[in-house]
Amino acid sequence: MAVVELKKVAKVFASQAGRLTVLVDIDLEVADGEFLCVVGPSGCGKSTLLNLIAGFERPSSGEIVVNGQPVTGPSPSRFVIFQEPALFPWLNVYQNVVFGLRMAGVDPSEQQDKAHALLKAVHLSKFAQAWVTEISGGMKQRVAIARALAMDPDILLMDEPFAALDAQTRDMLHEVLEEVYQQTSKTIVFVTHNVREAVRLGSRVILMSGQEGRIIEQFPVHLPRNRYLEDVEVVTIASRIRDKLRQEVLRSSGEEGEHAG
Amino acid sequence: MPAEPEIAGKAAGKWRGRVARVLFLLALGILWESLSRAGVWNELIFPAPGAVIRSLADGIGDGSLPRAVGASMVRLGIGYSISLLIGIPAGMLLGRLRLLDDTVGSLAVGLQALPSICWLPLAVLWFGLSESAMQFVIIMGSLMAITLTVRDGVKTIPTLYLRAAPILGATGWRFYRYVLFPASFPSVMTGAKLGWTFAWRSLMAAELLYVTTGIGSTLMMGRELHDMPLVIAAMIAIIVIGLITDRLVFRLGEDFVHRRWGVG
Repeated sequence: MAVVELKKVAKVFASQAGRLTVLVDIDLEVADGEFLCVVGPSGCGKSTLLNLIAGFERPSSGEIVVNGQPVTGPSPSRFVIFQEPALFPWLNVYQNVVFGLRMAGVDPSEQQDKAHALLKAVHLSKFAQAWVTEISGGMKQRVAIARALAMDPDILLMDEPFAALDAQTRDMLHEVLEEVYQQTSKTIVFVTHNVREAVRLGSRVILMSGQEGRIIEQFPVHLPRNRYLEDVEVVTIASRIRDKLRQEVLRSSGEEGEHAG
Repeated sequence: MPAEPEIAGKAAGKWRGRVARVLFLLALGILWESLSRAGVWNELIFPAPGAVIRSLADGIGDGSLPRAVGASMVRLGIGYSISLLIGIPAGMLLGRLRLLDDTVGSLAVGLQALPSICWLPLAVLWFGLSESAMQFVIIMGSLMAITLTVRDGVKTIPTLYLRAAPILGATGWRFYRYVLFPASFPSVMTGAKLGWTFAWRSLMAAELLYVTTGIGSTLMMGRELHDMPLVIAAMIAIIVIGLITDRLVFRLGEDFVHRRWGVG
């Protein structure tokens, strides 16, 4: 059953240079428990796609339906993890994790139990009382994941969450996310420009074109879970996607060359 | 362990700074004393440090100086608190609501251009020669600075916090209380400090033009009695109060903001 449905969605921004078409004709369904990765060249509208599902932006035309309800604005049921962790610096790690529960008026002892379990799941139990400014980027992103899971969202939307991290930290966070996904089987939409990351994590990868913001191809990933970035199968599928992506980038830069020439 | 020598260096620098400051003040005092002993100027217009210290001691001894300072601080405390209570929420609303900013915000910018003492004639006509008139001048003098600083701070809150708020369920008043207020706290601190400076200046201006109990009036009384040591004693008291509030109250607040928010 589809949890997220996009029907003929388009997004046009009005800019000083004129109308900027970011997304055209997006038809997309995300199944319950699916781990969908969205890849494409920078500026292809993949973050816009995520912002539309999150409700931060409204589509110019078309419809977005989540769990049978049209999206009208942001909601805790569609939780976003941003590239920057967006933790509140005036709160410590623990307080950040329970912030949403506090807003929802959850019983304090339940908040505590939940937070401890989640901090344990992301391996941060020792840092509950640390201030956000005192911990590393990778730790911040783990806190952001714990904070998201505390809200128990229907869908996790992740916008290049590991792009700013070094390779070792990213590997570790892939494992954390993998564990979370296997334990909770949440529906996840994960935007990245890193094709191998998409194949390592996703159960399906969609490729977007650089120019007019369309979905040009979909790649199901039927590999057993607990993959590694270095797995031969992962690398094989990734290189297929990358070839397609390269053609796409060449095509769009070729078009630009024609305009310029 | 590269951190340790650096901290030690900082501490040594701090002490060097302190010693230099004390020596400088001492040299200034000696210069002052020798100038007054040289008798270049009449003692009535250029009193010796000793006379000023005596005047300070007398004022503290007979309780008139603490009383004057106390009266001024109560006045300031009331006016400034009202400014904070109105200015902080007003600034937060102006920073969020476009229509309000275009209307009330531009009015605040206009009023900010008016030196606070210009409110005194109006205040006297409205409230008579009363405490309320002076409170009014203090409020009008500091409110705009607080409001506008907080407004500008709210406008520069990272979009990420604003986007994180609704998905964490912080909507309506909870958004203002639990996200917007703490997120804009660094600018609230800046606004409070700026507002304090304006309030303090407004109070002094008002007290100078006004017959009442207060440190500004003590200064004016010195002029009327041709009591130059008292004039300088009152000025020193005003400087000391200003420094104490800056160092104790606002420095602590700024340190806190710097530690937690990493800015300021």
